[in-house]
Amino acid sequence: MTPSLPTSMMATRRGVLLSLGAGITAMAFPRGTWAQGTDAVLKFGLSTFPPTVKPFDNTGGAANTVKLMIYRGLMGYDASGKLLPELAESYEWLDPTVVVFRLRANATFHNGKPVTAADVIFSLNEITKEGSTAFLKSDLAIIEAVEEVDDKTVKITLSSPSAIFLDLMASYCCPVISAESTDGNDIGAGPFVMKSSEKGVYIELERYGAYYDEGGPNFAGIRFIAYADENLRFAALEAGDVDLIEYLPWTQFDAVEASDTMQMKSTLGPYMFLLFNVTQGPFADAKVRQAVGYAIERQDVVDAAFAGRGVPLYGLPNPQGSPFALANPAQEWTYDIEKAKALLAEAGYPNGFDCRLLATATYGMHQDTASVVQAYLAMIGINATLDLPDWGTRVTAGKEGKYDLAVHGTSGIYNDPDSLWSLLYSGNPSYLQSFGFKSARIDGLLEQGRTEVDTEKRKAVYQDLAAAYFEEVPQVPLNWRVQAFAMKKSVTGFEALPGFLNGSSAYALDETRLG
Amino acid sequence: MLAFLLRRVAAAIAMLLVVGTIIFSLLVIVPGDPAELLLSTGGGSATQEAIQNLRSEMGLDKPILAQYFSFLINTARFEFGTSIVDGSSIADAIALRLPRTLEIIGVGTVLALIVAIPVGTLAGLRGGGRFDVIASGVNALLTSIPGFVVGTLFIYFFAQVLRVLPAGGYVAFSDDPAQHLQMLVLPATTVALHLATIIFRMTRASVLEMRGHDWVRTATAKGLRRSLVVRRHILRNALGPVITVVGLQLGILLGSTVLVEFVYNWPGLSGLLVTAVEQRDYPTVRAIILTVAAIFIGINLVIDILYSLLDPRIRLK
Repeated sequence: MTPSLPTSMMATRRGVLLSLGAGITAMAFPRGTWAQGTDAVLKFGLSTFPPTVKPFDNTGGAANTVKLMIYRGLMGYDASGKLLPELAESYEWLDPTVVVFRLRANATFHNGKPVTAADVIFSLNEITKEGSTAFLKSDLAIIEAVEEVDDKTVKITLSSPSAIFLDLMASYCCPVISAESTDGNDIGAGPFVMKSSEKGVYIELERYGAYYDEGGPNFAGIRFIAYADENLRFAALEAGDVDLIEYLPWTQFDAVEASDTMQMKSTLGPYMFLLFNVTQGPFADAKVRQAVGYAIERQDVVDAAFAGRGVPLYGLPNPQGSPFALANPAQEWTYDIEKAKALLAEAGYPNGFDCRLLATATYGMHQDTASVVQAYLAMIGINATLDLPDWGTRVTAGKEGKYDLAVHGTSGIYNDPDSLWSLLYSGNPSYLQSFGFKSARIDGLLEQGRTEVDTEKRKAVYQDLAAAYFEEVPQVPLNWRVQAFAMKKSVTGFEALPGFLNGSSAYALDETRLG
Repeated sequence: MLAFLLRRVAAAIAMLLVVGTIIFSLLVIVPGDPAELLLSTGGGSATQEAIQNLRSEMGLDKPILAQYFSFLINTARFEFGTSIVDGSSIADAIALRLPRTLEIIGVGTVLALIVAIPVGTLAGLRGGGRFDVIASGVNALLTSIPGFVVGTLFIYFFAQVLRVLPAGGYVAFSDDPAQHLQMLVLPATTVALHLATIIFRMTRASVLEMRGHDWVRTATAKGLRRSLVVRRHILRNALGPVITVVGLQLGILLGSTVLVEFVYNWPGLSGLLVTAVEQRDYPTVRAIILTVAAIFIGINLVIDILYSLLDPRIRLK
């Protein structure tokens, strides 16, 4: 980090005049004259500065994007979202609980040393060890043993079969780092190396010359710049300050579509939903929760909060790209105000009731969604008072159950119904789940779905899950939202990975070309 | 004099202690758990176990009083410690960012003075005239537009439509002086615009008042040149209150540039403070607020001492 302002504040007359002169001259220079091709640096506008880039922690989408550029795991995805071996060259299931990975001969860490079985063992142990803060610690508790077969071959034994183990190995929270890594200096094997950064401002990466995939990114570096204000992020793209931005604000989709110089790549990724405090009051009754499901016209949420860029969601949020089609019109809450009123009356609230609706003022989309929900609930007599604290307070209120009804939006991490585990499994309560909600039936189905490897049997399990979701109402889904990246037309090959994989879209930078 | 000095310094230290205690207590009361927030950035989920482990890494599982006393002791040693979010040095971050905030305030103030004082003086001298009516009208209009609206409009015109300036951001002067200045233009102008309206009003009112005084009439009657009368007899007297107001505004700006910094992505101190509050990065929030408070209190201390040197009666009070 370089100290700023070494000379500009020195108030000598000559200094000031020189500065002014330089400023005026600078304004006359044409902008956008940086080099193209392999010397070019991709400028990527992030929605927030990554709080940390610790390889195994999940500290948000921006952090995961940066992490995927520095670190890679055994598995990965291509730009279409297809699961592929990454640092592993191939894998083989010896039986449903034993998988053997063969590592690439030319995969090396940023210190130049080859990726070996010992590094894989080290990395998985870092995740599962006592006291770890790793995102996948509980998911990977399924690992019973990791053994080195030889330098380039590693055998992993699971305590039970797992349908999603390979997806976990492709997660941005499951990279392989060098066993020589020390605390605060994690050595990865990704296409880029950390060059410099300033907290809150930018992170600059430079290309790792010995990256195993020679067909990788064709640019010399990436400069991630944080733009917290979404309109400024868009303005920076339009002005040409950056090449690519994440989280294109919904209100700017039209502008990008109409533009000659910009384009966008999008997917139906995250979804919005309502949570309930089921420990007290009317929402303890599933019938009342069902009534809420029928009472809301979802298209209005899409229109008001997402400028029309979304799709109503009436039942189990089975992600785009999921291996199973689970939609069943008999298990969906389409808008039906009479049905909603009847259910309320049946539950003993013919005249409705008062409640608190928790959302957050930090994110406009949460607040706008809450306003639409509030208006629709009023029509069936449920008078919701909006509670809109900042995000930090909202998370705590959600975790402590200080609400009756809450708005939330999130995404899973891979395109499989199992991705709903963290949102529905009662063994790990969090602000992402209805407060106090527990269902042995739903927990049982989730466990079954995770350990079943037969596709047809799994499908049946998740069909049952969709039914249980509809009857017990652990949450009321509202809509899928379109998640978009916008970029200059000169940026080619980038894709938004489909569905829940949208948070892993940085993998597509491998196939991205500049200029 | 020494007794007076000691009294004032002791009062300043006591004030800082109070500020520190208040900010510490507030942060305890405000809901939000930094560990959970960090692991659920952007709406993700974290296991309770991971959150607990991170809490102890952050030192948040220690009793509140123990945290309070170690905060006091460290502050007394001028040790701000490290951010609980990423472990980076807080003192370094403040040292890096405070000058940037001071830069947009400083440049903005100079710009505002250069424009507002001549225009205000002219308007005051021709009070009620056509120039005054137009200038006061424009001033009223500008006063009523908030800084973030000005910022958004500036970005739209200069970056998105005309494409002559970057939409925002920051490059160190030492890295690229030209680009640094390009990026400074809009934020500094935005700060200047609001400040200029205040300075204009004060200057105009003050000049209007001064020009009616007897000594101005006398000076004019003596046959002094008009420019000399204005400079020596009107402006010199009129600027006293203007300077006081500018001084006050500088203090206020230190805390209120946050919107300007946000709109232009200018990485100053207030931006750091906002992020730290969002993340519940307690040590960083405390350090920044204490720094700003110390600057305020320090300025007041200096002014007190200066006054007492100029006017010995103050020391007796």
